[in-house]
Amino acid sequence: MLKHLFKLIWNKKKENFLLISEILISFMVIFAVFTLLVYNYQNYKQPAGFDAEDVWAVDLGVMNISKHKDSASVVHENLRNVMKDLPQVKSISFSNGNVPFADNYISMGLTYKKKEIYPDVYSVEDGYKDVLRLTLVSGRWFSPEDNGREKSTIILNEEAKQQLFGSGNAIGKTITQYDDKMKVIGVVQNIKGQSDFKVATAGAYQRIDTGRIRGMSQMLVRLMPGMDAAFEGKMYKLIASTIKSTNLEIKHLVDMKAEKNKETTIPMIIFFIVAGFLIINVALGIFGVLWYNINKRRAEIGLRRAIGATATSVSMQLLGEALVIATFSLIIGSFFAVQFPLLKVFDLPASVYLQAQFLAILFIYLLVVICALYPGKQAASIYPAVALHEE
Amino acid sequence: MFKNYFKIAIAVLKRRKFFTFISLFGISFTLTILIVLTAFMEVLLSPAYPDVNRNRELFINSLELTNKDGSYMMKGRASFYFVNNFVSKMKTPEKLTMHSSRSTTNAYPNDRKLSVDLMYSDLAFWDVYQFKFLEGKPFNAQQLKNAEQVVVISEDMVHKYFGEGVPAVGKEVEVNNLKYRVIGVVKTVPSTLIYIHSDIYLPYTLAANTLKGTSLTGGYVVTLLAHSSADLPAIQEEYQQLLKKVPHPEKYHDLLSSYADTYLESFTRDVLGRSGSSGRDRFFLLMATVIFIFLLLPTVNLMNINVSRIMERSSEIGVRKAFGASSRTLVGQFLVENMILTVLGGCIGLILSLLIISILNSSGIIANLSLKINFTVLCYSLLACLVFGLISGVYPAWRMSKLNVVTALKANN
Repeated sequence: MLKHLFKLIWNKKKENFLLISEILISFMVIFAVFTLLVYNYQNYKQPAGFDAEDVWAVDLGVMNISKHKDSASVVHENLRNVMKDLPQVKSISFSNGNVPFADNYISMGLTYKKKEIYPDVYSVEDGYKDVLRLTLVSGRWFSPEDNGREKSTIILNEEAKQQLFGSGNAIGKTITQYDDKMKVIGVVQNIKGQSDFKVATAGAYQRIDTGRIRGMSQMLVRLMPGMDAAFEGKMYKLIASTIKSTNLEIKHLVDMKAEKNKETTIPMIIFFIVAGFLIINVALGIFGVLWYNINKRRAEIGLRRAIGATATSVSMQLLGEALVIATFSLIIGSFFAVQFPLLKVFDLPASVYLQAQFLAILFIYLLVVICALYPGKQAASIYPAVALHEE
Repeated sequence: MFKNYFKIAIAVLKRRKFFTFISLFGISFTLTILIVLTAFMEVLLSPAYPDVNRNRELFINSLELTNKDGSYMMKGRASFYFVNNFVSKMKTPEKLTMHSSRSTTNAYPNDRKLSVDLMYSDLAFWDVYQFKFLEGKPFNAQQLKNAEQVVVISEDMVHKYFGEGVPAVGKEVEVNNLKYRVIGVVKTVPSTLIYIHSDIYLPYTLAANTLKGTSLTGGYVVTLLAHSSADLPAIQEEYQQLLKKVPHPEKYHDLLSSYADTYLESFTRDVLGRSGSSGRDRFFLLMATVIFIFLLLPTVNLMNINVSRIMERSSEIGVRKAFGASSRTLVGQFLVENMILTVLGGCIGLILSLLIISILNSSGIIANLSLKINFTVLCYSLLACLVFGLISGVYPAWRMSKLNVVTALKANN
């Protein structure tokens, strides 16, 4: 039966050429849609690793501080004391420009036994873990016992630990950055600090020592829930009058996250709308062509009915033919689709492509079945007498 | 004859309403997307308020310092020192102006939070860019020199800060914990003008910390206005000559490169530029490829439907052939019919895109967006329409013309 159908289509390959190529192109479009969808969904499913609610990022702006090192740390210390006195503030930490959802990246090379990785490096203080509510996997977070040896301790996230140590233990091991030796004292859970749709990258946390605090351009603050703009205005004035800077800015991490998520969702929505219309277009086209083809074969169908074929078997045959045409396209399409994971065209895991390919095949078959159902049913309702009479 | 073709085409369209609907749907939707896309490009790239002279402007967007083997690279906007000591000495441009990149800060009028964009500019800024002042005027040379705390703000900013329709000149706005006196209100610049849209414009002398030092990189964008667009190559040449005389003695700063680019090139160079080329050609190639791929599916679809439609009319074709019509006449007739269909679809597409554009403009996804369908956009879409109709009509018409008379007549059954 199946062999017979293939033969039927093969004999009419010239007539079906356009239909096959149309389904083929549709398959490639659907494949792209599902690849995006699967990839973003997989990333979205990953735990965030931290809590952005009620955290504000204060961009300290351009501070007018003298070149003398002490005066810088005095400004930061003053600010810290002022902030700690506010009852609404739970905890604070100064940070480099690379706070979550900011477009700043700082990285450096870390080496362990000749293996080198380039993780994002975050300069943080003891309060950072409480501000973002990070989860410690093993070891410990920074504490005052690290005073005076800031340069010699480091905390990795799981991804960085995985890259450097594999599944082995990392706590207590010594890694190097150029000539500096650093001891790993803890491993924290990965955080998705770029957006909900971006996978966590390798990261390392270093404690800010007094010499470097003047370079810290951001402050992260965790507040009591439900702080309003009036309080924010008060806090803004307080900070501005303490550090005398221009372009001071307070942002809510939740808003920053929403903004960054839009960078993924808006292009995706536009792409889906366009692809959706393309598919409707194609579906109508396929429907029309099948309908026409079946109408053209009234005589043949009438004859089959006359010699005893049931209505179901007639509509099954037409459905089968449509599916065989789709199969031809999918075989060619799969050949192209398989090249993506094989040649690593984009830097995506192979599982994403395979899942997307599977879903796309399913989708195309579904589409063809829907398009062929009505014309097939119509053909099955042909009366043999009428059809043969026309002949 | 064409009148006849037209009549036949309309009759055919009416006969198979479902097929007509599918074809029109495909054509109009495809063209809608193309028109909206073209309108976007148009609003991004063509001269618009207040940047009306864009065709004779060049932009210095960034400077790049590298060492000899390329392992060290520093890239940034131009510094005040570089602009003031070197660029401002250029002779070929008619005028030149510098303004800072946008920076954002907060303001809290009446316990509401506002996010405010700031931009520092010089005097010529108000000459090169033709701002429309709704109230007051820009700052003058005296105010710039004395670093007076005065600002020009946008109409949007007035709405957000003072309320709708409130006169703002003479009042004070408080940003950065400092109070500034408003001396002018300008019509808001849409955010599609990537370099110069902002809420507040201040004299550059207020950004005191950017005026010191001899670093070449800083935070300023320079606009060079030529006498005419024919002068642009001469200005670019003078700029390259000027760069050779700029000292950059610091360690690793072996090579200094920077370009005075046209508006489009100043963006494509960052993304697509390779070793000195502006990336503009690559940009156009990329766009063409994307549009081609996008058009492929609807075209094949339309072709497919057209084949069915023509084969349905095989008896008519058989009769005409039998009475001596040449293949060429038949192909011509079919192409004309297909053109009528595509033009019809194009009209629907135009109406749809007008609808979408008005929705986009009022939705506020992009602030102050003003997409328009102007003559250029219309021409491009008409062209796209015709190409679309031609391509999707040729193959089916060719297949039709090869029909054998006897078979065609017999198919009449």
